[in-house]
Amino acid sequence: MLPELLKDVEAGGLLIIQDSVRYSGRQLLKSFVKAALNREETVHFIGFEFSEDELRDGLKGPFAKRLHIHSAFTDPLGWTDHPVFTVHQFNAEEITHLIKQTSHASAVTLVIDSLSWILRHVSPSVFCRTLQQLRKGGAVRAIVGLLHADMHQKGIVGSVCHLATSVITVAPGMKAEEAEAKITKRSKSGKVLQDEEIFVIKEDLSVIVQGKSHQTEPIQTGPEEQKMDPTANLTFNLRLSDAERQAKENLSLPFVFSKEKKTALLHSGPSSGRILYEPDENDDYDQEDPDDDLDV
Amino acid sequence: MQWCNRVNTGLFIASPAMYTELNSILNTSPESFTKGDFILLSDKQSDASFLIHHFLSFYLRAKCKVCFLAMVQSFSHYSTVSQRLGVSLAQAKEKGQLVFLEGLQESLSILIPQDEHTGSQAMNFLRDPKLGLQDLYEFVSSKVKRSCGGEAESEEWGPPVLLVDDLSVLLTLGVTVGAVLDFSHYCQATICSKLQGNMVMLVRCDQEEDEGDNESPACLLKGLTHQSSLTLDVQGLPTGYCRDIHGQVEVCWQRRQGDGQNTQNKLFQYKVHDKGASFFARGTSSAVL
Repeated sequence: MLPELLKDVEAGGLLIIQDSVRYSGRQLLKSFVKAALNREETVHFIGFEFSEDELRDGLKGPFAKRLHIHSAFTDPLGWTDHPVFTVHQFNAEEITHLIKQTSHASAVTLVIDSLSWILRHVSPSVFCRTLQQLRKGGAVRAIVGLLHADMHQKGIVGSVCHLATSVITVAPGMKAEEAEAKITKRSKSGKVLQDEEIFVIKEDLSVIVQGKSHQTEPIQTGPEEQKMDPTANLTFNLRLSDAERQAKENLSLPFVFSKEKKTALLHSGPSSGRILYEPDENDDYDQEDPDDDLDV
Repeated sequence: MQWCNRVNTGLFIASPAMYTELNSILNTSPESFTKGDFILLSDKQSDASFLIHHFLSFYLRAKCKVCFLAMVQSFSHYSTVSQRLGVSLAQAKEKGQLVFLEGLQESLSILIPQDEHTGSQAMNFLRDPKLGLQDLYEFVSSKVKRSCGGEAESEEWGPPVLLVDDLSVLLTLGVTVGAVLDFSHYCQATICSKLQGNMVMLVRCDQEEDEGDNESPACLLKGLTHQSSLTLDVQGLPTGYCRDIHGQVEVCWQRRQGDGQNTQNKLFQYKVHDKGASFFARGTSSAVL
């Protein structure tokens, strides 16, 4: 589902990438920026967490002039004299104004890095209302935001994610470069689709899906079994020729209790031992009770 | 105190590189180190201050302009330990290489004002914690910017470095987690990004994580981890106290230029000596082998 989301975030959509300390979702966010730029869309980037240079890194190319960065990194609170964008400007009117000022393109994607930074300074209700106004306002086609889910209370994360049409939760994968994405997508009809995928982000910010996170193992081991024959290079023979098979079948195994064996055991030959007993004179042998001496 | 006692009885012998093992783990040296890094130190039921001493001497040796915010110990404490590591803080201060904010003394002059001169503006948050740490940031930025200004001394020192020991003390003084994160963000924007210097901050995190508590050191640590580029987390041994292994350090690179996502974790055990500390892979302590 990840490539479909990258291909197109639906109009009026809000996509939230949730990450944690364990795995940063910033690369994926950049992938979304690049995908939008490749679609000939105009991207407005409100960046709190990283400098403009760092953002431009990897997003170079002919499309770079369609990327408008409103950097709030150097002065997000207006402590110095020349703030470009401050967190207090985060309301629908200001942002709409900002977007209208720089471009007249119809398809505008607004990217926010990160929502967490704004949530620390704006009350959740105001924050949610602004997001909703931006979505419905018509100035932007879609919004993509990064949210550090582990920095907020569960309730706040929940209510922000309720606004979103798609939520991607990223976590580290089993291997070093792999990551796991849990995707929830709400379509307009109200249908909710869920998916889990393992993906890798290449250096050019392209996302390659390695497979579904739960079904990966059987899919991978299936073809491998066909390819590899474990009996290929053995030092011994596993198969039998007809003659060998017959010889094997004719052989009686030592533990099989055959008829011959049985008779041989019951009718002992002349050489086998026998117990002979001749009663002594002193033996008090009672014919009627032979077990008299046993003291029973 | 432990450090001081040890130091006062010993001889001051300067040996050039005490933390070579750590330097090789981090792939850095005073001659060449990556610029623009935000190194976050944290400790849990353990003491990571030996790393603060290391980075202090490391950057002084690297000829950086160092601004040190000492919130938990006095100047003489750091000075004696650094002496042991072969660096003189007093000299560095005299030469203008080191800016030392002695938090304990500054706070005393604010809490018990004795004369007309009531300390610098840097610690204004003590008067009213709601003000935030803007004044502290302005103190830091004025000190590091001056070093890069047009003055003669600017030629002398390399990129600026900010060291803080430790940030979690600010929480106990009434500053909110948000305000501390704002402070570190501004410092990062100025020092790491604009001036291409480095930043080292220590956070103590002894309490258990509490889901509903938004003002705990654990919460601060999470926020700072999102900002940082390298974290060194010092923990005690999970198996308990040991005489020959003092604990373990988890080294975690959060992000790197170029290859982007690189959350590679490494775990080492360490032993702190009189002068420096030794680091080794798990289970390879010289006392065991």
